[in-house]
Amino acid sequence: MSTKIEQKNTVDKSAIKEGIKFGTLMVLPAQIMFFTVLAFPLLSGIYISLTEWSPLTSGGLKWYSAYKFWSGLSNYWNLITDKEFLMALFRTFIIVATVVPIEFFLGLFIAFLFLDKFPLKKVFHTVLIIPMMIVPAVGGFVFYMLFQSSGAVNGILSIFTSQPVEIVWLQHDVLAIIAIICADVWQWTPLMFLILLSGLMSLPEDQLNAAVILGFSNWQRFRMIVLPLMKPVFVIALIIRGIEAVKIFDPIWLMTSGGPGTATETISVYLYRHGFVMLEWSWIAAAGYIIFILINIIAAFALKLIKEKHREAA
Amino acid sequence: MEQKIYAKIVKYVLVVFIVSVFFFPIYWTITMAFKPHMEWTSSAGKIHWIPKKPTLTNFTSLFQRKVSVVSPLSSTAVRPIVNSIIVSVASTVFTMILGTLAAYGISRYKVAPNLPFMLLGLRMIPLAAIIVPIMVLWAYVGFVDTAHGLIILYALSTLPFAVLLMKTFFDEIPTELDEAAIVDGYSNWGAFTKFILPLAKGGISSTALFCFILNWSDFILALTLTDRKWSTIPVYLDKLQSGYVGKLYGPKAALALIAVIPPVIFGLLIQKYLVRGLTFGAVKK
Amino acid sequence: MATITLDKLTKRFGKQTAVKDLTLKIDENEFVALLGPSGCGKTTTMNMISGILKPDMGKVYFDEREMNDVPAGKRGVGFVFQNYAVFTHMTVYNNIACGLKVQKFPASDIDAEVIKAAKLLRIDHVLNTNAERLSINDMQKVALARTLVTKPEILLLDEPLSNLDAALRNIMRAELKRLHLELGQTTVYVTHDQVEAMSLADRIAVMNFAVLQQFDTPYEVYRRPKNLFVANFIGSPTMNFLKGTYRDGKIDLADFDQGIIPIPDTCRTPLEKKLKNEEVVLGIRPEHLKLDHTDGVRKSSLKANVVNLEPLGSETIVYLRPQGGVDNIIKSMMHSDYVANLNEVKTIGFNEEDLYIFDQGSGDLVFTF
Repeated sequence: MSTKIEQKNTVDKSAIKEGIKFGTLMVLPAQIMFFTVLAFPLLSGIYISLTEWSPLTSGGLKWYSAYKFWSGLSNYWNLITDKEFLMALFRTFIIVATVVPIEFFLGLFIAFLFLDKFPLKKVFHTVLIIPMMIVPAVGGFVFYMLFQSSGAVNGILSIFTSQPVEIVWLQHDVLAIIAIICADVWQWTPLMFLILLSGLMSLPEDQLNAAVILGFSNWQRFRMIVLPLMKPVFVIALIIRGIEAVKIFDPIWLMTSGGPGTATETISVYLYRHGFVMLEWSWIAAAGYIIFILINIIAAFALKLIKEKHREAA
Repeated sequence: MEQKIYAKIVKYVLVVFIVSVFFFPIYWTITMAFKPHMEWTSSAGKIHWIPKKPTLTNFTSLFQRKVSVVSPLSSTAVRPIVNSIIVSVASTVFTMILGTLAAYGISRYKVAPNLPFMLLGLRMIPLAAIIVPIMVLWAYVGFVDTAHGLIILYALSTLPFAVLLMKTFFDEIPTELDEAAIVDGYSNWGAFTKFILPLAKGGISSTALFCFILNWSDFILALTLTDRKWSTIPVYLDKLQSGYVGKLYGPKAALALIAVIPPVIFGLLIQKYLVRGLTFGAVKK
Repeated sequence: MATITLDKLTKRFGKQTAVKDLTLKIDENEFVALLGPSGCGKTTTMNMISGILKPDMGKVYFDEREMNDVPAGKRGVGFVFQNYAVFTHMTVYNNIACGLKVQKFPASDIDAEVIKAAKLLRIDHVLNTNAERLSINDMQKVALARTLVTKPEILLLDEPLSNLDAALRNIMRAELKRLHLELGQTTVYVTHDQVEAMSLADRIAVMNFAVLQQFDTPYEVYRRPKNLFVANFIGSPTMNFLKGTYRDGKIDLADFDQGIIPIPDTCRTPLEKKLKNEEVVLGIRPEHLKLDHTDGVRKSSLKANVVNLEPLGSETIVYLRPQGGVDNIIKSMMHSDYVANLNEVKTIGFNEEDLYIFDQGSGDLVFTF
């Protein structure tokens, strides 16, 4: 009897080992791809950031001779106090802090409208989600076109003010940012709408009905039942959109190339311009690491906040 | 819960208004693509809502080497379109293979549980931040302005989605099926290919289409790592942004339409899975 | 406490009719069960009483007051859902209290009421636990407490016991009965379990396919089912049904070779008056169908072969195949130590007053002795 049990245990153990071997093989290609393609850039990035090398300086593209232009941590020190860099970070913050709340609340509002039945609902729903499938660079071009001084936005404003409107949106610091915000809100509000609508429709119907029968008014039900139940979806939607918004590049580059001057230069535009127009590679390698560290700090902070909220609720 | 009729009407009017506003840029681009030169701009506040003399010349000019239209590039839109197709398809296939295998390993055998999180972290960093070291590497191995150079990077950038989404699809298939196949004598690989993969067909096609849309829509990777030979449609569109050519709204709108048709069609096809995809599998309707 | 009157209630969903022309009156303090299989319309009826759904036709009255246009929150009903619908993000205390808070009760009173309700249902020890962490049984009690604390005039319970495991179900059944005796609300109880309905209800409303079949006390529903459906649904094991043809004062049973049931002359006229069709179904409950001339029942000429025995402890169910029958199996409930061999031939015995004659076409009960 006992030998049979022992046999079964060893058979199971070897089957498990086989399984783990197989699983490891399955993950291997992806891991290899991930680590090899990223390993070299991550390491060489550190190396380059500690120099003042650029393909424009002598040596051309021979990165390994970058040590000839060793500069230690000076890139990092200079970046932290560099006005342009800090302004780029600041502009990114402004745009994200404007765009994400607008998209969130507008998306939520539209989602509530779509909870009822109405004629042609499916058609409207389909049309509404098309903007987020548009190639972002193309979206940038479309809004470039719309915000021209002889474009559709001015045309429509002219109809409303019954006077010819010829605002040169994209040549004006603040107006260009507004145009870019419009482009982003247009493109991504449908995404928030989709996520939030999906969340609202998955709310447990019985809990909502129970609240009605207990005498909750619509507002009380919204505040005490709907909002708390939607919190996880809210958090996911805001995080997803927030992370992507920080990276914003395509529409800005197509609409203003960061201009006029640097008025619409967010962090991605800054990195691209200094990296690939001015070819300041070591400068940007250092900047990349600073941003990497910044994002890690923010993420750790956000995670801590989320964990604390979880502990509070429990 | 019935509502009063007037509230319903107000809500409906709001919906119509909002959807119209969101549709307007698309509408404008569609009509612009068919407008002749004269109707491209509206001076003195006059808008041409519908092209008075619709024409196909915008589309044809994209493919003709007319110096007056697309100089200083003197190149047509053919190559970028072909490049976009080749690179997007190839990188999607590549990332789906790597991602599906990895997702199965993670879902069934609990190996590499941190890989999904590391991939998520990859998506958190602005590409512009790490593109310089990548460019250095690419220049060193001669991958700049090549198809394989772009394909590898595209595959890497959508690998997080492939892995995370396929993992959610595999998690939905009960493990009893794998165990039954193994009891029947199939190897791990056999169980995977003959039993589980067919069941995950829906997940595979929707994840693949999703990754295709993302690859097709990339701009900055192609902008930095390609030049004349392998630029994609977005890069070509950007190249047309400057100078005289920048004001040629008609052909550019036509190009824009061509560029967005595949993602919009695929996007509508996988509508059901869009929320799952865009939230990295966190929200499943 | 209020009476509930349903007057020709009808509700359709698209092309499907969920409830058709439902009319019944529930008295004050009465405990009524809505009994029927899934999809028969009982939950839809409850939702119309509570106000969640608006009827397409017909009216709901509480006492004499027409309730159709009164919103669900103002009807003074309490509703316990099948899966309890406790507010998962709130503590037990807040779950129970929120109904009172929302109706602006003074805070001091709320606390006393909540604790009283929690003690009544014996969940006062988990008052500060988050509702989603509770066991299913405790969740159900929270759902009950939350409802009872608002002192509703009418209590609506939608299959409140079907998610509990068997042992808990019996305990909670007794609890519900006790609560009803103590608090005396007019109660409507939805279930598909006829044992629950029979044991808890003052009267049972049997429904099938959106239509009310019978509304009577448990005894009446058991003893005088109005049609085949009710006769089959009530009683465990289910009633035996034998198809036959009525001709010249005799019923010729299809399942038996020599299956003739003579009808006494005194009964012929009343029977023939009600019979619309010569095709009938004879019904007899297993508890009234005896074997081996036992228990003082009259012997018939019907013979059947034993095919199975089910000793249940308190009684034994004998399964028999009629001789000459197609594939009909009839059941007989015998005493607990009854024994028989497979394929043994038995003579069936029963008393006339335990027979039911149904019209095969309409299913209606046509005659009893």
